[in-house]
Amino acid sequence: MPPATAVELTGITKRFPGVIANDDVHIRVAEGEIHAVVGENGAGKSTLMKILYGMLVPDEGQMTVGGEVVSFSSPGEAIDRGIGMVHQHFMLADNLTVMENVILGAEPLRRGAIDLDAARASLEKLGASYGLDIHPDDMVETLEVGERQRVEIIKVLYRGARILILDEPTAVLVPQEVEELFRNLRELKAQGHTIIFIDHKLTEVLAIADTITVLRAGRTVTTVDAGDVTAQELAELMIGGDLPSPSTTTHQIDDHVTLSLAGVTVTGDDQREALSDVDLAIHRGEILGVAGVEGNGQGELIEAILGLRQLAGGSLTFNGEDISEWPVRRRRESGIGYVPEDRHRRGLLLDAPLWENAMLGHQTVEPFAKGSLIDRAGARNATEAIVSRFDIRTPGIDTTARSLSGGNQQKLVIGREIAANPLLLIAAHPTRGIDVGAQAAVWEELRRVRTKGLSVLLISADLHELIGLADRLVVMLGGKVVAELDPADTTPRLLGSHMTGADVENGEPAQ
Amino acid sequence: MNPVPLKESRALRWMVAILGLVLVLSLTQELARPETTDLISAGTAASTLRRAVPILLAGLGGIWAERAGVVNIGLEGMMILGTWFGAWGALEFGPWWGIAIGIAGGAAGGLLHAVATVGFGVDHIISGVAINILAPGITRFLSREIFAKQSGGGITQSPRVESVGHFDVPFVSGGEIFGWATPDIFGWIDDRGWFVVSDLFAVASGITSNVSWATLLAIALVPGTVYVLWRTPFGLRVRSCGEHPVAADSLGVNVYRMKYAAVVISGGMAGFGGAFIAIEQTGIYREAQTQGRGFIGLATVIFGNWQPLGAFLGSILFGFADALQLRDRTAVHALLLLTGVAVGLIALRSLKRSQPVGAGVLLLISALMLWWYLVTDSVMSELPPVTPHIATLIVLVFATSRLRMPAADGMRYRKGQE
Repeated sequence: MPPATAVELTGITKRFPGVIANDDVHIRVAEGEIHAVVGENGAGKSTLMKILYGMLVPDEGQMTVGGEVVSFSSPGEAIDRGIGMVHQHFMLADNLTVMENVILGAEPLRRGAIDLDAARASLEKLGASYGLDIHPDDMVETLEVGERQRVEIIKVLYRGARILILDEPTAVLVPQEVEELFRNLRELKAQGHTIIFIDHKLTEVLAIADTITVLRAGRTVTTVDAGDVTAQELAELMIGGDLPSPSTTTHQIDDHVTLSLAGVTVTGDDQREALSDVDLAIHRGEILGVAGVEGNGQGELIEAILGLRQLAGGSLTFNGEDISEWPVRRRRESGIGYVPEDRHRRGLLLDAPLWENAMLGHQTVEPFAKGSLIDRAGARNATEAIVSRFDIRTPGIDTTARSLSGGNQQKLVIGREIAANPLLLIAAHPTRGIDVGAQAAVWEELRRVRTKGLSVLLISADLHELIGLADRLVVMLGGKVVAELDPADTTPRLLGSHMTGADVENGEPAQ
Repeated sequence: MNPVPLKESRALRWMVAILGLVLVLSLTQELARPETTDLISAGTAASTLRRAVPILLAGLGGIWAERAGVVNIGLEGMMILGTWFGAWGALEFGPWWGIAIGIAGGAAGGLLHAVATVGFGVDHIISGVAINILAPGITRFLSREIFAKQSGGGITQSPRVESVGHFDVPFVSGGEIFGWATPDIFGWIDDRGWFVVSDLFAVASGITSNVSWATLLAIALVPGTVYVLWRTPFGLRVRSCGEHPVAADSLGVNVYRMKYAAVVISGGMAGFGGAFIAIEQTGIYREAQTQGRGFIGLATVIFGNWQPLGAFLGSILFGFADALQLRDRTAVHALLLLTGVAVGLIALRSLKRSQPVGAGVLLLISALMLWWYLVTDSVMSELPPVTPHIATLIVLVFATSRLRMPAADGMRYRKGQE
């Protein structure tokens, strides 16, 4: 007898103005299984899960939970049916304790007040029974990413969820944390919970899921058993064609040093050393990959090179000149390009038209300026050139940056920086949050400019991207460069253990 | 972590801090004698408390709103509504009804702010400023319609109103129990003139004698606010709306309802503060009698790091500056000496924390204050009335480090946003 159905979605359709996010989607999730939903960005995975969790109401279609037809108009109703969701962007208040975050909205009471002792006891009990290590009285702001995720999982279990939805839970974790998460998920499954797991990292999906449903452009492509499919086949199902990959072609690197850092020390916002005594050299035509868990000095490294942050010690040499004391503008004009990690905050003026965005950072030089005035016609022509050269999908250069998709915004930022012909390009997470097609275009462009002699400092959290693109890799931990690796014989696992400072004596992390 | 020793050490720290403060005040008092005797006395302490109450209430109001993520710069306007409605209620129905109706008046202002900011997503500052402009207009109109027609009233003031009554605490300040007058122990020690000890008891005597019942109620709102915000589901939900409304919404918390409730409570607190000014402090409604105390209350929110107890301490500080300038203008001159000493102490602390630049600047300020004190006999007459505001500025300059405001404070929230 096949296992009972936990959740079934039939013919779900959801339209937003101008887009159909879900188009006649069918999914059946059996009780007690780990069911993965995979697809490219924009394939409709998150929309579908929000419908199941009651955050969105479908336009058409039917949902059943435990055999009963349901329709949710709020998350509260989904919670009542035993459905819980761990969001991709954690829904945790930093300035509240772990316990307060967990019990919020379902507080245990004693004489009208919160029964703190009962709450603490039930959290500890949940933590112990599922092997989730948490401390109820810690402030959430002091927690690491992995711990925050455990708090999120406890949060849904506390509400008695039997069906857990996890939205790209591994996106923010290093490999070791992913393993910890998978252990927790298997434990939950063993205790009879049903898990719906959204992801687009296929090796992970194959490692954890029992059943996989593939979405493409808002439709269900197929549902397969994890045992019957390879990563390659899944990827082709996802994109409906061949898979692009960041594989490097070998090429010769110049001896000429574009940028060198000697003993660079920088103080962070908290007055502690964010970079201590960093030595680095980037050669002409080289992509230097910087790996590291976020917050280990990568941000300060970028700011030090750009001149956004004063050096507390050491020096920067760019193209043979000491630029340690130069202001940002002079550094930029002498040939340093920058693709910021957060394009919305640092890369674009979202409500300005594309042609204005295209001159940001280059507004003092041709073709964007004539003397001390903006050259409107020149700027517009240059923008047209960027748009066509980098295949930016937009109705025109007068539309606002906000109306472009994430991938096209990113192509605009990268195109703007590359079109200025820099000597050094700092690319921070250049493919974060963009879909596979745009990702391939970005990789292609970085590889192309590298062969033309541009130096690239690539900071990324995507370890496959680092290994595939970089000519040389360094690992940052606690503001120091702790390892230098050749990507040709590096695995994500090995990189991950360097990033967390785990034991790497035998070239393999300790188990 | 064992919570018991922590509590003990905290209590100990408080006692040391209070004793230290009394010591500094006593010493300064000795230095400034015979110019003034009001730096530390029963009268100053009583006046400080009375002056602090409206500021405290505005501060608590600010905490309620901002903990729910709504900046309430309209506290001043809500306080003004409280003064008018408080006086009107007291005239019509008696002083306690006056307090209640003053609270209702302020709460109505809070409701207006909530409708604008939470319901319609208006910028919090704009809505607050609008309320501050609107409130005096409404009260002027109401005065013309009502008070101007009563004997003793006019378009800018009401007839005199009765207060809610006062009490002395039995045994320590000679209060009566069923008609039996208990001994006034604090007063007796105060009269002995023992250095520091008598000063300490003078302060204790001042804050336990002739206390308004409304003051007692206002002070009870400090632990009351702590209890409701930190120990009840309602309070946790309110705070979650100020920290991460999307998360709160995803857990089934009705964010709009929480914000509405918190801002209405905020207005009610400010209204109580206004009613207190009219009924207890002056015994009359007079136009513009709030004198910016709503704004000073807002400053105590920041000074107190969005904690009720912190706002209470802030209000005492401003109340002290206010009381001093009211009681004895020459005392403000002695305040220069006090400020000089206080800044000097802060400078020593910076030096200990190896911040030489900050310490240098502070020492210079301290020296300038002391020099000003020594070469003059009095300060210009414009200075005393604005002492509380100057104190606000100085304190905010030094208190801005290590502050943690609610993460989503002042942001517009729409359901369904991410």
